[in-house]
Amino acid sequence: MVERSQKDVWRLAPWLMIALLLGNFVLMAFDAKVEGGERVIRAWTETVADFVQSPVTTVTASVSNYFSSIANLRSAQDENGELKKRVQELEVETQQKKALDAENERLRSLLKLKEQSKYNVLIARIIGRDPSAWFDSAIVNRGSLDGVRLNMPVVTDGGLVGRITAVSPLTSQVDLITRDKSGIGAVVGQIGESSALGVVTGTSKKELLEMKYVTGSTDVQLGQTVFTTGQDGIFPPGLKIGEIVNLVSGSATTPHQIEIQPASRLGSMQEVGILLYEPPDRGEFEQKLPNAVKKK
Amino acid sequence: MEGVRLTIALIIAIILQWTLPGVWEGFAFIDFPLIVVVYAALQRNSIRALLFGTIAGISVDALSGGLLGASGFSKTLVAYAVSEMARRVYLDNLILRIPVIAGACFVNDLVYYGVHRLLGQTPTADPVTTVAYSVIGTTIAGTLVYLAMQSFSADRARMRKRKEMFAPRRQTRRRNPIRLGK
Repeated sequence: MVERSQKDVWRLAPWLMIALLLGNFVLMAFDAKVEGGERVIRAWTETVADFVQSPVTTVTASVSNYFSSIANLRSAQDENGELKKRVQELEVETQQKKALDAENERLRSLLKLKEQSKYNVLIARIIGRDPSAWFDSAIVNRGSLDGVRLNMPVVTDGGLVGRITAVSPLTSQVDLITRDKSGIGAVVGQIGESSALGVVTGTSKKELLEMKYVTGSTDVQLGQTVFTTGQDGIFPPGLKIGEIVNLVSGSATTPHQIEIQPASRLGSMQEVGILLYEPPDRGEFEQKLPNAVKKK
Repeated sequence: MEGVRLTIALIIAIILQWTLPGVWEGFAFIDFPLIVVVYAALQRNSIRALLFGTIAGISVDALSGGLLGASGFSKTLVAYAVSEMARRVYLDNLILRIPVIAGACFVNDLVYYGVHRLLGQTPTADPVTTVAYSVIGTTIAGTLVYLAMQSFSADRARMRKRKEMFAPRRQTRRRNPIRLGK
């Protein structure tokens, strides 16, 4: 081990800082550039993190379940010790059963979704949330070994949740629809019945989406449901996004201002379904657009 | 020995940052690795602080929806600034460390937000609210951690002093005053 004097350390520090900042900047630039493609460094870091995250998530979930069960026992405090202990045990058991019932219900609805869906659905468990407070993303316990690919849609029985943005062999990262970078081709009401087409994006308000570019002359009502159109080339058509909760009607020259509440409970979901859906080839898709220059 | 202890603390901080936001969303506003990075920088070891900043940042970025390296960039910058400040100004007092951790968190968040905007990525969260909550959360957690570490090191110093006070007297070898044979 080389012992350095304090003077050497102070002389070396600015150079090391510059080198590290440059390294980080190169990483950022690389990550920003390959936004739509395979993010190799992230995928492997996620794999390493999974070995820690999965067991810790399991342990913390069971510990927090236990403590939340104990927290519900305040009413039994006046009873005598033996009875109190017995009630506590029973209450913990009941709470555990309730949690199991709720989990069963969630899984049952996902199974229903799997049966009803036109696409193959892979059930996944959320094992982590975004560690920073800045972005809406989650980590699920399914990766490329399970057949997950980039940009696959993620849903619950309620509706659309987001899409896969990074895949490692064992885990994947999901960007939620509330993220303002997400742009989903959407329609108010059923496709074919409505001409209120637009793009759904996230807003700075959590749990609220915005639908842009809907022509002001189209008929839009509060409480109507918004579905995907499939025109974004990522999500299949017909997936439920949410319901209109706020509407400022536009005119012939200005678009409607529409706010949507997502159909899925994004804050409290624990299991999700990944649609094993591969969108049609972009080139082929773009050739179908009315204003595209057709190849001879 | 100090380096090993700080490395262990950093690993624990990264694991906490990975897992606690899953238990309760509010924990995302506490930047556990930053607390350790600032503590390392306050020890006036710039190189260790810089390396800690980069490693902690990239580890957090790996599971975040943001750009890989953005948090590494901001934490490295903060580590350097704090270690340079600690070299020039006396910051061994806990009262003085509280504004340092608050300022470090503020600068870290601003740089993080700034580099994302610079590279065309807009974070989802509202910047003012997120920075405010983050500064409050990290400052409170950092103060508690530093308080605990200070009392721990004070206890150890007291133990050492007591040991020195009641140390067994050194047995000096005496010569036998009655010299036999002479």
